[in-house]
Amino acid sequence: MPISRRATAAILPLLLSSMALTSCNGDDGGGGSRPDGAIEGEIRFQTWNLRANFKDYFNGLVDAFEEKYPDVKVTWLDQPAENYAEKLSADAGSGNLPDVVNVSPDLAHPLAKAGVLMNLDQEKASSRFRSEYTPEAWKGNALPGLDGTYAFPWYLNTGPMFYNKALFRKAGLDPAKPPHTYDALFSAADTMASTSGGTVATLAGTPSIEDFGRYGVTLMNDDATAFTYNESQGVELLTRYKKLYDKGGLDGQALTNTPEKAGQKFLEQKVAMNPGSAHDLETFKRDAPSLYKNLGITEAPNNTGKPNMYVMGLAVKENSEHKAAAIAFAHFITNRKNQESFAHKVAIFPSTKGSLDKPYWTKDDGTDEGRVRVASAKLLKGAVNYTPVVMSDEMKTVLQNEVAKALQGKKSPKKALDDAVAQSNQLLQQG
Amino acid sequence: MSRRPAAPSSRTHRAASPWLFLLPGLGVVSAFTLYPFLTTVYQAFTDTRTLTGGSWVGLENFRTMLDDEQFTVGLRNSLLYVVMVVPCTVVLPLLLALLVRKQIPGVTFFRAAFYTPVVASVVVVSLIWGWMLDDRGLINGILTFLGASPVGFLGDQWLLLFSAMALTVWKGLGYYMIIYLAALANVEPELHEAAAVDGAGAVRRFLSVTVPAVRSTMVLVGALSSVAAFKVFSEVYLLAGPTGGPAGQDTTLVMLVQRVGTGLNGRVGYASALSLVVFAITLVLMLLVLRADRREELG
Amino acid sequence: MTRMSGWEKALRYLLLLAVLALTVGPFLWQLSTSLKSTTEDIYTSPPAFLPAHPTLDNYSGVADIVPVWDYALNSLKVAVANVLTNCVGAAMAGYALARLRFRGRKAAGLAFVMALLVPLESIIIAQFTTMRDLELNNTLIAVVLPGAVSALNVLLMRNAFAQLPYEIEEAAVIDGANVWQRFVRIGLPAVKGTLAVVAIFAFMGAWDDFLWPLIVLSDSDKFTLTVGLNYLHGTFANNPRLVAAGTIIAVAPLIVMFACLQRYFFRGVGEGAIKG
Repeated sequence: MPISRRATAAILPLLLSSMALTSCNGDDGGGGSRPDGAIEGEIRFQTWNLRANFKDYFNGLVDAFEEKYPDVKVTWLDQPAENYAEKLSADAGSGNLPDVVNVSPDLAHPLAKAGVLMNLDQEKASSRFRSEYTPEAWKGNALPGLDGTYAFPWYLNTGPMFYNKALFRKAGLDPAKPPHTYDALFSAADTMASTSGGTVATLAGTPSIEDFGRYGVTLMNDDATAFTYNESQGVELLTRYKKLYDKGGLDGQALTNTPEKAGQKFLEQKVAMNPGSAHDLETFKRDAPSLYKNLGITEAPNNTGKPNMYVMGLAVKENSEHKAAAIAFAHFITNRKNQESFAHKVAIFPSTKGSLDKPYWTKDDGTDEGRVRVASAKLLKGAVNYTPVVMSDEMKTVLQNEVAKALQGKKSPKKALDDAVAQSNQLLQQG
Repeated sequence: MSRRPAAPSSRTHRAASPWLFLLPGLGVVSAFTLYPFLTTVYQAFTDTRTLTGGSWVGLENFRTMLDDEQFTVGLRNSLLYVVMVVPCTVVLPLLLALLVRKQIPGVTFFRAAFYTPVVASVVVVSLIWGWMLDDRGLINGILTFLGASPVGFLGDQWLLLFSAMALTVWKGLGYYMIIYLAALANVEPELHEAAAVDGAGAVRRFLSVTVPAVRSTMVLVGALSSVAAFKVFSEVYLLAGPTGGPAGQDTTLVMLVQRVGTGLNGRVGYASALSLVVFAITLVLMLLVLRADRREELG
Repeated sequence: MTRMSGWEKALRYLLLLAVLALTVGPFLWQLSTSLKSTTEDIYTSPPAFLPAHPTLDNYSGVADIVPVWDYALNSLKVAVANVLTNCVGAAMAGYALARLRFRGRKAAGLAFVMALLVPLESIIIAQFTTMRDLELNNTLIAVVLPGAVSALNVLLMRNAFAQLPYEIEEAAVIDGANVWQRFVRIGLPAVKGTLAVVAIFAFMGAWDDFLWPLIVLSDSDKFTLTVGLNYLHGTFANNPRLVAAGTIIAVAPLIVMFACLQRYFFRGVGEGAIKG
């Protein structure tokens, strides 16, 4: 379009080799200051889309920290939801990364590989906090191919499955018994498709890598150097999805729906089930009051007994000029007291040891929110992060597009998964 | 129009002043567009990734392209976009300009209103169109009401691509309309009057008077819109989703550049090579269109 | 001019109204969504065109979540600066390319055409690195700079100046006016229309830009409106009514500005300023 720059929303390719140069000159030289030095100096702290709703909360935390350590000055930055990875690559590439930065394991992996994040296990100053977090959470940021943990565990999230009781009832399914296994899911979806004559779909999206994980497919080999989801279990799952798709069990736009779009379909009551996160509940209450009355919450279908979990972390920049202060601050934000108080503000879960045994997460207080919170907290025990951290966005696109080809009948499920694995492995080796 | 000789400049300033005039513009364009592009050219021959500098790999990236199924799809879609969109953006805005050209009451309001889609950002516009084209969106609501069966605009690779094209044309209407209005202002009204007196019909008048008069403008519009159409990104990205429609079949070349080059694992070298191809093809397109009218040139 | 028959007039208005519905209708739909109250289900089929209980709550809701006025002010600064630099820079370069004769003129013109063809998405990081080297990152100046003089605007101005009959400058040359005086006194007044077009393009471009300000700004106090409004569209706050209100806030100033300037804009266009 005429104004070319404007039309490029959401794009951003290239990094310069000159970045490699800029990141090792000037003030960023060397490996930063000593991690066990004095806790002092100006540090920058960056969160991911938390300012809009938690401005006062974080300003309070920063004030409290600065009061405890008067020699430290914290500047809080917050980035919007979209294009966070682009922002991080621009900053990391030019040596401009904030001292303490909010990352998920898949973001931490490439950053750590490029050597811009600190290995917390290597330094006593940071590894001594290890015992404060649940072992799973601490390991959640241990990255394959890299020895060590690269972020303090922060908040956790599960993926509860929402379902529409009214649509279940209409299809003759028991709204009190949502499917818990993939067998049950496919049979319920079958019923839904035949009774509604194809007007109501059960799911709005195609199977994601998490679905393969929960189905019991081995996603990668042990040292995370090659994908293996084309094994017989994976082919079986995709074959069943294909049958479901042919029957009208998936939304008409399932092949292209983004998670946001899928959520919207569920809000519009056009699909009966949709994975979400605990804080979607407020959205339903506000945006679709008529759906909220019929809302059911369960766990995502699962054949392994281990639900999926999303992990957020706080990483410390390797060449931070005030590493000791950065470590102290990252620990401060993620300590038990502050994680629990944050989790009281919004429906997320603390990753600190013992937190989830508190009554707030074990006793149903009778409210809808309480019901979901207790149910989700229970799921978190033994939960794993199925998404391999080495799986880049491009590899996820490869999987989604090959799955789509199988569903369209252009390729057999086996061929589609073989091709996806081959392409992904090639990308993996290049990296 | 024939090329006019530039006005003679006064002797005292002959040497320095033209460059002083060019300094701000040339400075900005060189520093922030042309120079960075040289880096892209260099990187096209390396295996640079987002966070790691690369080494020289020669033509490897271009060889990868030949085996890349997504590249073929992207090239097809981008070229198709030009073929389908450009005739519409050349002709429809001209008709619209003729419609709002005459000073009739309220016409200024209509002119401004037709310009609204140009003013709004493409993100907003795509969001609204996404809602309207949805399986049970506004358009299907109207179709159902009229007794037709609903159309799955956003579920089919071709309907998706055509919808995005329609969106591009819709958004460009007002912009090109204005360029035509400016050109039409130079067409002597007497020409039209004479043709009308001759009893020439509206269609004949259009073809024999209007079109020749605005021919050079049509070339300009053709050139601008083919470059824009070949580089299409936002409309398709926002309607078809980041994966490029069902099974990636709606991916355009610039979407591919974005997909392989972004993120913390981006293959910057390969994305640069793709950018070079985009640059080369737009250059050829521009030359082709400009050649259609040799008397005109932009540079 | 021949009188239009009543029949032709009716047809014209009918066509105008049809195009109007097509171009403006979608925005009215967005406006309607932004006025719907929380008690109203916005996902009904068929969709409800008019809000049952119109409310401005969503607009104040937007202001509660993001400091929308501060962001709007930042956007305004950036947009106004962009208008000034583009009008001045593009007019000067365009004048030189069209009216002055000097060695290297073709090459200079070619540089702008080349710049027009560069896929901007491929150079954004290089631009970021440059800003960092200039120590301008995280400033509004950095937001303006890369687009301060756009190649397209230079070419538009060049074409406008090229249209002027060169006789009008001859008299001035004989009077002894120098290049600068001829540019300011004779050139510029003759291309007012194109300047208006460039001004509007520059304002829109700066106002709507999203990715570059996002990359170059770190501190949310400095965010422009499009970046700031992105907060409405995140994991923790995803309310379509707020998003709709936010988009209306982003679009409305442009529409208002255009509505105010359009008389001048179209008159300028009517002068025949931009022509291939």
